Amino acid sequence: MKRYVALVVLAALPVASIAEARVKVTGRGAKLNFSSEGIPDMYKEFFDLMQVKCIKCHTMERTVIAIQTGRAPITGQPFNKQAVKAYGIKMLRKPNSEMNKKEIRDVVVLLNYLLDESAK
Amino acid sequence: MSCRFEYILGGTIAIVLLFLSGTSHAIPAFSRANKVECSTCHTIFPELNEYGEAFLKNSYVYFGKGKKAASEKTKDASAVAEAKRAAVAPVESDIQGAGDPELLKKLKAGRMVSGDAPATSSAAAPEAEADNGTAAVSGEPKSEGIALSGIPDLLPISFTANLTGTYIRNAVNEFDFSTRALKLNAGGNFKGKAGFFGTYLVYTENAAGLANTGNTPTNMTGKNDIGELFLIWRHALDTPVNIKVGRFQPKLGLWKSNNRLSATNPYVTYSYTVGVSPFKLEQSQDAVEANMILANRLFMAGGVVNRKDQNTKEWYVHSSVKFGGADYVANEPDIDLNQEESIFDFLTLTIGGYGYVGTNGDPNTVVGVTPRQNEYYRAGVDVDLLYKLFRLKLSGVVGHDDNPDLTYALPPMKSYTAAIEGEYTILRNLIGALRFEYANDGVNVYRRFIPALAYAPIENVKVAVEYKQEYGISYKTAGNTAIDNQIGTLGITFGF
Repeated sequence: MKRYVALVVLAALPVASIAEARVKVTGRGAKLNFSSEGIPDMYKEFFDLMQVKCIKCHTMERTVIAIQTGRAPITGQPFNKQAVKAYGIKMLRKPNSEMNKKEIRDVVVLLNYLLDESAK
Repeated sequence: MSCRFEYILGGTIAIVLLFLSGTSHAIPAFSRANKVECSTCHTIFPELNEYGEAFLKNSYVYFGKGKKAASEKTKDASAVAEAKRAAVAPVESDIQGAGDPELLKKLKAGRMVSGDAPATSSAAAPEAEADNGTAAVSGEPKSEGIALSGIPDLLPISFTANLTGTYIRNAVNEFDFSTRALKLNAGGNFKGKAGFFGTYLVYTENAAGLANTGNTPTNMTGKNDIGELFLIWRHALDTPVNIKVGRFQPKLGLWKSNNRLSATNPYVTYSYTVGVSPFKLEQSQDAVEANMILANRLFMAGGVVNRKDQNTKEWYVHSSVKFGGADYVANEPDIDLNQEESIFDFLTLTIGGYGYVGTNGDPNTVVGVTPRQNEYYRAGVDVDLLYKLFRLKLSGVVGHDDNPDLTYALPPMKSYTAAIEGEYTILRNLIGALRFEYANDGVNVYRRFIPALAYAPIENVKVAVEYKQEYGISYKTAGNTAIDNQIGTLGITFGF
């Protein structure tokens, strides 16, 4: 029985999310994105905000990769809570980002939650 | 001499050469090498934003890379060692049998990764993004041979092609499309220890005055083919000092010659000349320069210029300081996101000052021949103010030439120039600008109004429409000749 369970687990490994199933993602490549499944209700509004505001200049792919790997995909630098805040400030100051401080703060809170979930 | 009026108006089309107005320090090769879009460093190519300025000051090393402190290097070394151990003894569930390509890939990642690349996460996580054929984590393991040799993975070159069409109303030859040029650009860094940049004008047709027009001698090939060619020893001897050698634009003003929205109109403060002296602040010189960033917000540079057949040295210095915004190593300002928005959250002020002292004219290396020479200096101040969608640039230069016509017939001349330009970001890829310039070069006094609109339908393509209204007087010529020009241009610029 134990061997059967182990085989089932091994068979499921290739299709499991790299992010240890806590942070669910959908799509591939440029369409890689976070899944709304598993996002707590308290963060749903922030999630919806991110899906609208944060794809104006780039796709969610780089954000997903950063959350999953703990490293910014371009610089290779650690993507931790300090980096999340720095990126939030960068987007706040970016011309035509159309995001105010409150919106940036909400997205930062969400990303910090996703980082915590990804680390579990 | 009667007034000359040149009308190239709205019905006139001029497809202009962007890259011939000066050297480029922004090339698509940087985008390929660092896998970032053009807008990472540019407002609309080739005008730089503050991150592009940081990249430039960082000797073409992408911020965040190559600046590891000793402690971080130690951590990375530990991470590499850990990755190797992990790769040697993989988790049992990863083993899928002999000849498993995925396991082989992980083993290679653990053993072959270079010291500058993060090892652990790249070994664990790239599969999710590998479907599009590229690994998005920049710590992707490089070939060990390539990493040790210091050669960039990708050939760091780009090309720029230029076509010029002009329409001059009422001229005998109203249309002329024969002016064209092809330029090669190269730039990057070697293992974060050295930066390099060069431009080579491969081919020109009817393009007189397109490349280096300064009194720096032409290259031995007899052509103005090498615009810039230099190497930077980055953080020499583990100090903050970068040593730059070769042929390049000396660091004087805040903005490089083509670091502007306009495609056809350089800033008068950088491009004016006096008398027959061909010296311009924006031209390339054969020089050695030391520059450094201090406290992340102060930039200083100083250099020596020495031309062929000139036995005197020329000197220049530059100093600039930045308040607000990202600093010179691209660190974001510390803004409290829990506080209400403040004007200081979005305000960035950069102030720079510089001076240049030089001598030009006949070569002074011929024994027994007294050369005709002109000793000159330039001193300038630039200000760059950025607030949300609005940007204001101020530039002023005073100059002195003691023998500008090399005959001593004219007295020494003082020159005064100033420019003020306001830009507004209408859309992310649409920027409007309005510039006013004043110049008194000792012979002419003139004023210019230059409105411009730039649009980037794709990030490496720029369409710019401009209009220059220029009026003044040439008071040192017989009869006080009036200056009155109206020129409209439509320029298309692209890089690849």
